Amino acid sequence: MSLTDANLVLHVSNFSVDYGYADEAIRAVTDVSFSLGRSRVLGVAGESGSGKSTLVYGLTRLLRAPGVITAGDVRLRLSGAREGEIIDLLAATEDDLRAIRWSEISIVMQSALNALNPLHKIGKEFDEVLRVHDGRLSKSQRRQRAEELLALVGLQPDRLQRYPHELSGGQRQRVMIALALALRPQLVIMDEPTTALDVVTQREIVSELHELRERLGFALIFITHDLSLLVELADEIMVMYAGRIVERAPALDLYRAPRHPYTLGLMESFPPLSGERVAMTGIPGSPPNLKTPPAGCPFHPRCAYAHDRCRNEMPPLNDIEDGGRSVACWLHDPASPVEVPVSLSRRGDTTPGGVK
Amino acid sequence: MKSLRIPRSPKVIVGLIILGIFVVLTVIGPWIAPYDPNANTFIPNLTPSWEHWFGTTTLGQDVLSQLLVGCRVTMVVGFIAGLVATLISIAVGLAAGYMGGRTDEGLSLLANVFLAIPGLPLLIVINSYLPAGSQANPLVVGLVIALTGWAWGARVLRAQTMSLRDRDFVEASRIIGEKRWRIMWSEIGPNLLPIIAASLLFTILYAVGVYSTLAFLGLTNVSTWNWGTMMYWAQSNNAALANEWWWLAPPGVAIALVGTSLALINFGIDEFINPRLRAAGLSARQRRRVGLARRPRLGFTPVLRQSTVDPKKVS
Amino acid sequence: MASNSIDEKGNHGVTTLLRRLAIYLFTAWTTITVNFVLPRLMPGDPIQQLIGKLQGRVTPEMIAAIKAQFGQGLNQSMWTQYVHYLTQLLHGDLGVSITLSSPVSDVLSSQIWWTVGLIGVGAVVSFFIGTALGVFFGWTRGSRADVVIPAATFLQSVPYYFLGTILIMIFAATLHWFPLMGAYDPTLSPEWSWTYIASVLRYGELPLASIVLSSLAGWMLGMRNMMVTTMSEDFVLMAVAKGLSRRRVMWHAARNAVLPSVANLALTIGLLVSGSLLVEQIFNYPGVGNLLVNAVGNEDYPLLQGIFLLITFTVLGANFLADALYYVLDPRTRTAAVH
Repeated sequence: MSLTDANLVLHVSNFSVDYGYADEAIRAVTDVSFSLGRSRVLGVAGESGSGKSTLVYGLTRLLRAPGVITAGDVRLRLSGAREGEIIDLLAATEDDLRAIRWSEISIVMQSALNALNPLHKIGKEFDEVLRVHDGRLSKSQRRQRAEELLALVGLQPDRLQRYPHELSGGQRQRVMIALALALRPQLVIMDEPTTALDVVTQREIVSELHELRERLGFALIFITHDLSLLVELADEIMVMYAGRIVERAPALDLYRAPRHPYTLGLMESFPPLSGERVAMTGIPGSPPNLKTPPAGCPFHPRCAYAHDRCRNEMPPLNDIEDGGRSVACWLHDPASPVEVPVSLSRRGDTTPGGVK
Repeated sequence: MKSLRIPRSPKVIVGLIILGIFVVLTVIGPWIAPYDPNANTFIPNLTPSWEHWFGTTTLGQDVLSQLLVGCRVTMVVGFIAGLVATLISIAVGLAAGYMGGRTDEGLSLLANVFLAIPGLPLLIVINSYLPAGSQANPLVVGLVIALTGWAWGARVLRAQTMSLRDRDFVEASRIIGEKRWRIMWSEIGPNLLPIIAASLLFTILYAVGVYSTLAFLGLTNVSTWNWGTMMYWAQSNNAALANEWWWLAPPGVAIALVGTSLALINFGIDEFINPRLRAAGLSARQRRRVGLARRPRLGFTPVLRQSTVDPKKVS
Repeated sequence: MASNSIDEKGNHGVTTLLRRLAIYLFTAWTTITVNFVLPRLMPGDPIQQLIGKLQGRVTPEMIAAIKAQFGQGLNQSMWTQYVHYLTQLLHGDLGVSITLSSPVSDVLSSQIWWTVGLIGVGAVVSFFIGTALGVFFGWTRGSRADVVIPAATFLQSVPYYFLGTILIMIFAATLHWFPLMGAYDPTLSPEWSWTYIASVLRYGELPLASIVLSSLAGWMLGMRNMMVTTMSEDFVLMAVAKGLSRRRVMWHAARNAVLPSVANLALTIGLLVSGSLLVEQIFNYPGVGNLLVNAVGNEDYPLLQGIFLLITFTVLGANFLADALYYVLDPRTRTAAVH
């Protein structure tokens, strides 16, 4: 299938990424497929090293050396003047990519302090993208647009005269968000945009994002290791482990009733944003070394429910029940010798956290 | 804590080999020199031949013998000055960085003063006031060079020590109640090793350069053979005007090779200190083997369409 | 990489600049004092020996002048001598050159412009060319252009006096493309005429080329390293993600990468000046470096001291200019950061 549905913005199939070549190569992302509808929010969750950032930087061809895309197909449906056109991101030339970057896909990086040029005033950042992508705008029009964009994220126009180091962390990240929306792209990628911020600011920004998306209707891929944050924002959530998707489900369903032991562990390592406090148990052990991945399911060394099959065979990502859920775990195989524990079954739907 | 493992790149290996050759020559040079470097009994201005590999000078001396004998003095002065200067910079840098406060203020000021005063003129002035006997003594000259060359290293080490001081493991040993010098020696020291190594290389380079410069200017004893005095005699006998390249080239190239070897080794240390400099697994040969036509460009991730990961490693 | 922008104590902007100025002033005072102390405290009493050697070769007035300058046989306390010495300095009195029999200040003011012209132009030219090359080779890291790195490393290690001598041998003595030595055609006399200026420029070409060539590689390698480091910063990737042209992305990286080079400028000026002193010796070019070597050879201590002060003060001034330039280029030094 390749983006036949006019409601889809992005379609990714069998996408894989390696770091390095030949003897030194390691597999960082394996066989990832998903699609994203217009104005939808996809959350991608996982610990650091799970391949979630590699995935999105790879899709946009922004991944640095020694990253190499080794398989897959990535299609983007264009908007605006090129409405209806579909571009194959992996076959695109450098000029093709340059033309769609920021105008169709923009990105907000984890640390705004590092992502903003320290020698440029904030105003110059806006001026630059507006000028490069739309030569018709006059200097004063660009300035006016920049002020509108800042207002959108609740910042005063005088911030345009400031340098990045003169702003607070929250203000900088808001600037980044405003900047990402400057050309009205239809897909915005946010790579842990709130991780470096305090909880209160985090919360503010997430609710602002929610509002902005309702108003402007861009599609959003939001990466984080904090699942509870995603529930507020995302329509659908993908959980990644060792470079693969291990579970995918509508956001609320996933949060109410995780099916993969890893998802459960991930949820237990963060307190929910609202609701009562629960004991944070987290996940024992650490993510696998991708140079020497364990045989079978990569999560089995850390999994409380692992059995023989998990140690030898890689579980495929299978659809389970209705409602578009899928999980890669042998526990949910009909032939599983271990009974699905309550916390990972439908019966446990209300157990974790105190969800509304 | 990281162990000091310098990347074994071809650059570092070539550097070590060149330096190794010169170190060996430092030891055995005067013994294997075919003639007495002072003997002026040969036919002058011979071009290189089997009897005189590097030819002879206008004064009828054998160039190769001068080069081999001069190697020892040049290298020994360079190493002694480099070592002494590095020891001073370790002491000053660690003390200033770890103690902080008044100690730091004073020592930093001292280092800044030494950094700001141009080294060679200072050296020339100090050297010119030395009694004639000391001027001729390479050891004394080496020590004076060390005196003018420690400040840069001290500054770098101080900055690094300050950043290490506040790290967890140092904090931990302070809470346990370890003695100050013990923390400095066993906790901070090992983490400074790459920087100390880099600063040692640089000061040796500086010392070899400065010493031969002084000698070239005729400001050391011109009858002690080192590479600088060889150039001094070549210059004062107008070797350049007479196109006597075989006389000029050996000492100049020798100094440049020693310098290059130190710089090559430093590439390895640099890549160790600053991992961003490490070539990211993209040697041209590897690239061709896996079928990548060009070097990956920033913001244009290559698409291989075929994984090169050993299939056995992927579950 | 922001470590250069804010000094170790967290001071910002003007405070930092003033601190630097204070350090330079202190350094200047130290140099003056060293100049005073060295000849008086050195073992072997160099001044006494010098006077012994000069006895009968120069006028009695000259000997008296040297004695006065270095406090020989005056039975004055060190302190009185020191105050006297400082007063003289303040009036621009650096003593009288023994070999040239004229005031050191006159000798220096007639010669300094040759040095400033040659070394100043050489430094600026090599900084700009080297930095531009560094940007290019940093940007193309991993391509075939990398072959210049070992070559540049070797060039950087070639001692200046060797490089200069070889250039003379090849391009002046053998190929006759350039005049052999000196600063202008010896048949001309210094005047503001076109022929004379043209001759100065012509004679300056090879010495200038040798200075540029010898310091070029250092700037280039340093800038390349900084460029490679800067290119791994997020804001450079961000510039790519914004769909900017390759040239624009390179500019984003280069402007940031050049800052440490400017910060190092201050440290490097001293080395550069030291190395370049040799140019005058090799090309038989007039100037302070030439005077210095002759002064040492002739044990002309008053001249030697004057030159040392002059060089040090010039280097300190250049250092301060480099600091001020950094202050102008990096906004982070000017305003306080939000923490």
